[in-house]
Amino acid sequence: MKPFLVLMLSLLSLSAHAADLVKDVRARLVDAPLVRGQFEQKKTVQGFKKPLVSKGDFLLARDQGVLWNTRTPFASTLTLTRKSLSAQQATGGAAYHLDSTKEPALAAVNELLFALLSGDVAALQKRFTVEGALVGDKGWKLDLTPTDAGLARVFKHIHLEGDGYVRQVQLDETRGDSSVITFEQLAQTPPPDATEAERLGK
Amino acid sequence: MANKLAILWALVVLAVGIHQVQFWRSASLDTDVLALLPEDEQAPEVDAATRKLADEAGRQLVLLVGAKDWPSAQKAADEATRVLTESSDLLEPAVVDTSTLEQAVDFYRPYRDRLLTPAQRKWLAHATPEELGGTALMKLYQPAGAQLTDWNADPLGLWQDWWQARAAETSARPRDGRMWLSGEEREWVLLMWKSKVSAFALGDGSRVTATVERARAKVEASVPGGRLVAAGVPLYAEAAAAQASWEMSTIGFGSLAAVLILVWLTFRSLRPILLVGVSLTLGCAVALTVTALVFDRVHLLTLVFGSSLVGVAEDYGFHYFAARQGKAPSERGPVMRALLPGMVLALVTSVVAYLALGVAPFPGLRQMAVFSAAGLTAAFLTVVCWFPSLDTGALPITPFAERFSASITRWPRIASTPAWWLSGAVVTVLVAVGIWKLEPRDDLRQLQGAPANLISDQRELGRLLGLPSPAQFFLVQGDNDEQVLAREAVLKTKLDALVSEKVFAGYRAVSDWLPSEAQQREDSALSARAEAHAVAAVSESTGEAPTRAAFSPEPLTPKQFLAGPAAAVIRQQWLGTLGKAQYSVLMLRGLNDPKVLPRLEEVAQGLEGVRWVDKTAEISGLLSRYRRIMGGLIVAGYFAVLLTLVARFGRQAWRAWVPSVLGTLLTLAIFGWAGAPLQLFTVLGLVLLLGMGVDYGIFLLEHPGDGSAWLAVALAGVSTLLSFGLLGLSATPALRSFGLAMLLGEVTIWILTPCFRLPPGKATH
Repeated sequence: MKPFLVLMLSLLSLSAHAADLVKDVRARLVDAPLVRGQFEQKKTVQGFKKPLVSKGDFLLARDQGVLWNTRTPFASTLTLTRKSLSAQQATGGAAYHLDSTKEPALAAVNELLFALLSGDVAALQKRFTVEGALVGDKGWKLDLTPTDAGLARVFKHIHLEGDGYVRQVQLDETRGDSSVITFEQLAQTPPPDATEAERLGK
Repeated sequence: MANKLAILWALVVLAVGIHQVQFWRSASLDTDVLALLPEDEQAPEVDAATRKLADEAGRQLVLLVGAKDWPSAQKAADEATRVLTESSDLLEPAVVDTSTLEQAVDFYRPYRDRLLTPAQRKWLAHATPEELGGTALMKLYQPAGAQLTDWNADPLGLWQDWWQARAAETSARPRDGRMWLSGEEREWVLLMWKSKVSAFALGDGSRVTATVERARAKVEASVPGGRLVAAGVPLYAEAAAAQASWEMSTIGFGSLAAVLILVWLTFRSLRPILLVGVSLTLGCAVALTVTALVFDRVHLLTLVFGSSLVGVAEDYGFHYFAARQGKAPSERGPVMRALLPGMVLALVTSVVAYLALGVAPFPGLRQMAVFSAAGLTAAFLTVVCWFPSLDTGALPITPFAERFSASITRWPRIASTPAWWLSGAVVTVLVAVGIWKLEPRDDLRQLQGAPANLISDQRELGRLLGLPSPAQFFLVQGDNDEQVLAREAVLKTKLDALVSEKVFAGYRAVSDWLPSEAQQREDSALSARAEAHAVAAVSESTGEAPTRAAFSPEPLTPKQFLAGPAAAVIRQQWLGTLGKAQYSVLMLRGLNDPKVLPRLEEVAQGLEGVRWVDKTAEISGLLSRYRRIMGGLIVAGYFAVLLTLVARFGRQAWRAWVPSVLGTLLTLAIFGWAGAPLQLFTVLGLVLLLGMGVDYGIFLLEHPGDGSAWLAVALAGVSTLLSFGLLGLSATPALRSFGLAMLLGEVTIWILTPCFRLPPGKATH
């Protein structure tokens, strides 16, 4: 066993420690086993003058995973479950697949993503210093700073805003890129259809 | 003349004394099992590889702390860490410095375009422009993820996968700030510590082991179902040192005490005790000095084995005192002169037998051979040179000695009677069946005396972590670096097929971290073409004009790599130049089933410059070869001894010879009946038996009807029996098997020899 390998692994992983809990935020959030809706993502990438905008819809099923369907500017799907991460372009051709039996950190990535999208403050507290404030009667804001070295190598900050649901996620990456994702038309129904259930079962 | 010899010997003893003081001040003792193994004369590079792989982990301690679920495992790891931290004078955590990895990533960055995994190569070679463009777009638009470079330096996200493939060399992954793995129904935390003290210091106690045991107890007590698995050279070294010092004191002091008690019982006088004690002490001291001078370092097992020397080296003193008892002090000289021919003959046969142990090319055995031969000779010289001068007083015959001497007349003696013929036939059948049942076993385990719990921990750890095996590997040879790396690549393509069949888990090769120049050129061209398509597609889709980053025009050379921060991980596998060629080692992970070894051996066949090395099989083969060679040597030895005996005793020579032959056969038969395997070390015990067993016969023939010779033989037999019997307690299977063979052989020879004594009134000369 080499310290070097260990380091390498900590770079590749997404995992972290805990901080204080914002109970009020939790109280304002809807406890939903399933959330679906539309998203718009504006990603600022070094080397690109304009933000890269993509839109689509998503499905978040607790304990199962996340389906992220980009509709514009091109159609593609991203499926993240506890077992695997796979991406596919609707036109066929491009695709890739990661297996969590080969890369166990995927489970942790899934957990983090789920926590972010569902505003699971308790889970986030394990990995971030959480600061925040309540906004108006229903709203809230959270600022997350990674406490874990591995996670800090990926994210500088994460900013969350919402009410009963998470409405906006802003990811500031350590390397300088950043993404702002806004969610709309959030709902707890309908349940996954056959195709979705099949994707989540992978 | 006698005085001159005594003075000469005193000078030698003085020199030895001075050397002993120096030796114990800077004790250069070896506990490493590898030091006992033979050097491979035909393939020094295999040795170099084995030793380099073993040296790597000199002070490392790897611990896995596990529990049923992850929170309990974390708690258990905290408890273990707390206990280990308490021993900060002994242990320190292996430092994990984040800058090392960042340095390595930065080091590789200019060469990113020419570092591809086999899967990437395959994909890039066949991917259509649409597929490449689509993948680039998908990755670009994906919500944030871990990035190691700017987008234009890696538009297809290949870099991350390359590092991930390198990370696959261990199954541990970070989780909540710890190294985590899951397996065998538990969640585990990996802890890495380093010992601050030298692992090979003798007499330092088992302090690292004790600390680890405290941590284990704490984990088991504080977490239900908690487990701690630990492995590391420091633990093995401490176990070996503790065992050896225990065995040395048991065998050494045990047989010394027995010898002195026997002397007291027989002679009831302090002088023989002191003198025999002196001959033994000098024997051991000279043995150690000679061994240290010849071999530079002395192995702990040599000392353990040497402890049994006490039981043999006292024979000469016994003979002298038994013969001299009841005679006038003035007859000391003539007594010694009368004994000399028999004693010289006995010494020569024993020394030759001991030296025969050194025929096998095991450095450990050679040390033991030299140690014993030197010790025996020194004890003999002490008796011959000093005893007549120092032993001046009277030594009356004690009642015990008298009664015992007389007992020889009542001992049964073989004769041509039906009863003797019948017992002979029964013994023949028992021996034949026993020997037929005998099964040889030549595995490496006989050399390892490590406690079973250490070995099982080591195996479990290897299984869970997927550590590469140090005993089986491929040795790749080439005229230069480039050829070695290229040959590794060819080997890897063959191995990849076996990995995908799940024959074994994977491998670790230098060329994974440093591809050959040709491979680098190929990969660089491959990624340049693919990434051009990717950038073009993104450019078209976004309406912007990103450009692919530039990479180093020069390939990464072995010289740069070895000087760089990434080499640490793989350096011990890069052997460099040995003789005229360059060598590297390719190690295998997840090699749990010995049945797959022949398939790996097949892989090397027909590949130029690639050799499959199976140290375990090689050593077992060697043990088996030398078992047969030494077996042949015993047969030849018995005939040589017979000729020597005939030269001295004529037609009566068989009387000294047959008991040893019978003793040897009976020992083999007992091993067979008991289901104990026949090993090289059993055979070596029999070689020694050949040298020492005939001693009794020689003395009884030299002094027929002489009760004092019988007394000396009896004393010698009992003390030899005790010392080798104690060796049978050794935890090292090799020494135990050797000791048991000696014990059984000695007892039977000792019982049988007087049965073959001359009838009264007959003399050989």
